[in-house]
Amino acid sequence: MTQDVEMKEQAAPSNSLTSSSPSTLQHLKEIASLIETAAYDREIRRILRAVRLTMALRRKLKPSVLSAFIDFALTPGSEAHSRLSSYLPKEDEHEMEVDTATSAVQASAKHTLPELEIYCYWLVLIFLIDQKKYNEAKACSSASIARLKNMNRRTVDVLAARLYFYYSLCYELTGDLAEIRGNLLALHRIATLRHDELGQETLLNLLLRNYLHYNLYDQAEKLRSKAPRFEAHSNQQFCRYLFYLGKIRTIQLEYTDAKECLLQAARKAPVAALGFRVQCNKWAIIVRLLLGEIPERTVFMQKGMEKALRPYFELTNAVRIGDLELFRSVAEKFSSTFSSDRTHNLIVRLRHNVIRTGLRNISISYSRISLVDVAKKLRLDSVADAESIVAKAIRDGAIDATLDHANGCMLSKETGDIYSTTEPQMAFNSRIAFCLNMHNEAVRALRFPPNSHKEKESAEKRRERQQQEQELAKHIAEEDDDEF
Amino acid sequence: MDPQLTEVSQLFQRFNAAFIRKDYDSCANLLSQLKVLLTKFRSLPPLFENTPNAENELLLAREIYEQAVVLSVKIEDQDAFERDFFQLKPYYTDAGSSRLPASPQEYPILGLNLLRLLVQNRIAEFHTELELLSASALENPCIKHAVELEQSFMEGAYNRVLSARQTAPHETYVYFMDLLAKTVRDEIAGCSEKAYDYLSINDARQMLLFSSDQELLEYIQEEHPEWEVKNGFVFFQKAKESAPSKEIPSLQLINQTLSYARELERIV
Repeated sequence: MTQDVEMKEQAAPSNSLTSSSPSTLQHLKEIASLIETAAYDREIRRILRAVRLTMALRRKLKPSVLSAFIDFALTPGSEAHSRLSSYLPKEDEHEMEVDTATSAVQASAKHTLPELEIYCYWLVLIFLIDQKKYNEAKACSSASIARLKNMNRRTVDVLAARLYFYYSLCYELTGDLAEIRGNLLALHRIATLRHDELGQETLLNLLLRNYLHYNLYDQAEKLRSKAPRFEAHSNQQFCRYLFYLGKIRTIQLEYTDAKECLLQAARKAPVAALGFRVQCNKWAIIVRLLLGEIPERTVFMQKGMEKALRPYFELTNAVRIGDLELFRSVAEKFSSTFSSDRTHNLIVRLRHNVIRTGLRNISISYSRISLVDVAKKLRLDSVADAESIVAKAIRDGAIDATLDHANGCMLSKETGDIYSTTEPQMAFNSRIAFCLNMHNEAVRALRFPPNSHKEKESAEKRRERQQQEQELAKHIAEEDDDEF
Repeated sequence: MDPQLTEVSQLFQRFNAAFIRKDYDSCANLLSQLKVLLTKFRSLPPLFENTPNAENELLLAREIYEQAVVLSVKIEDQDAFERDFFQLKPYYTDAGSSRLPASPQEYPILGLNLLRLLVQNRIAEFHTELELLSASALENPCIKHAVELEQSFMEGAYNRVLSARQTAPHETYVYFMDLLAKTVRDEIAGCSEKAYDYLSINDARQMLLFSSDQELLEYIQEEHPEWEVKNGFVFFQKAKESAPSKEIPSLQLINQTLSYARELERIV
């Protein structure tokens, strides 16, 4: 049965086209030629562009278009070709129109570039994931990863990074992330040895995600602190990295650093990535609360996030008022949300902040208050509790007060004038430093077209020249070999 | 039955007998022999080979390490506790659900470990461990005990920490609870120093949980010689030196101004 169908596929690739598809196929072919030029010129940026263009086509992919494209790009009968076409569902009953037979035949004659092969794997993989055929997707991605391990070309790296991502994604969707951990570690090692920084970046993120999926914060932090770091290549990967780092730091109680990471991740994330930004915001809100800050109302009113952030808004409200009773009821009311967000343990930690805020409010409003009243206001069980809690708050610098044990009361001190300290100057300085840094980074990020000052050579001429150079290099290498 | 397995289980029986006799020296001795023998089983972590006796071996090894952890508490050796616990952990996490039935000792030991982290003031690790536990595990009295302790400790409700000693869910917990009491005393001393101007000796004794004034005075001499005891009161005032007169941070200002000038020059 399968043989029969494959035969048909090979014999009549042009037949399997629906009327709407020529434009999509045409686009795909353009992308393929873009990849070809990129492979010849060793221009990584063009591959990036190809990837971007493909993402725009993602929704229009159809099995018929894909199989036509695979016939166009890969040599029929080759291993990759037969494997990839076996993943695609057959739709041979369609009414056929002949229009691209010639190009398919032409293409089959030429040698397949590894870039194109990987690109085809990627295309099929996205298609399978979009069609929710996760088991096929798993098989396809594993095959592509096995193939990738033997390829060492810088132009493949961009596509490889994408493949790693979808490889992990389809395992996550079927809930078997733990299975591929060893494989990802091996891939990360290979990428490091090949100086494939984009690959390292992607794989490190995938590994962190893998660990955090199972709450293995310890292992994640150990890997992260030991993995090589370099300047980020992809903004998306950098955002993810910041998010994972922020999560790890939150769990390990380094709230100040965590806040910085999470806020930066939320700001840097592309506008389209709403889910990601919501996640970042949720964590950032909790971290800010844990730090004793109260996030502004605008944070909760961001477009498209109001509903998702609603539980966190009410939580913030409870912390702001410092009402333990309200806090408890909010935590109970949304407990299912919090446990599915896996923030439940963090919320438990917040109780302490609620008490602190309540205490601070009391200390600001009263210059002298009995501990019995403090206990009553904070709804604590006993006066002895209240006394030691207040004592600890004083030691941690949360409130500025003294206790009078004999009379059982708390005396607040006058708050000093902040403008008599160096505080304003420090704040001003950090802002100036930020602006200057921003300017410097902008200057560094400026890009100039290559050789714009020299005479312009056409693309063809350049390719010719580069080919000549390559041949020359090959000759030299051969001569070198002969000498030995 | 496999001769190796028989040997190990016989040795373990001797270990248990010695353990009941409270002969901890020979326990430690037997334990190190046991650990050497365990290395010969290929079914144990990290190899997890699927040998015919795998399940029995894993069960036995888990029991041995559980006993090792309890033993380390009995001989009050925290380093040994940490080592043994880390050897035991893979049996719960990696071998847990699929290969072995859950151990009745699991939660008491996990709770014990949480308590240890709390005593050693390793709060970050405490929370990292906590994240690994499921919601149902958090309901377990042993775990809950440790979690509530941490909360009270963070809030500063120290008397709740101390009263928790009576409600310890397991006899092995007492050792760590005693250690925790010492930590709590230091914390209270630190807080009182900042929060009070002075305390009567009587109050201070009660607060720092000493049974006699003599003990309190000795503690003050050893830990806080800067406190002053006078007329039946303890004065903390001396420890709170008045803030040093403000200096103008000239060097810092010069540095900042110079860096502004340099950056501005770069822009213009």
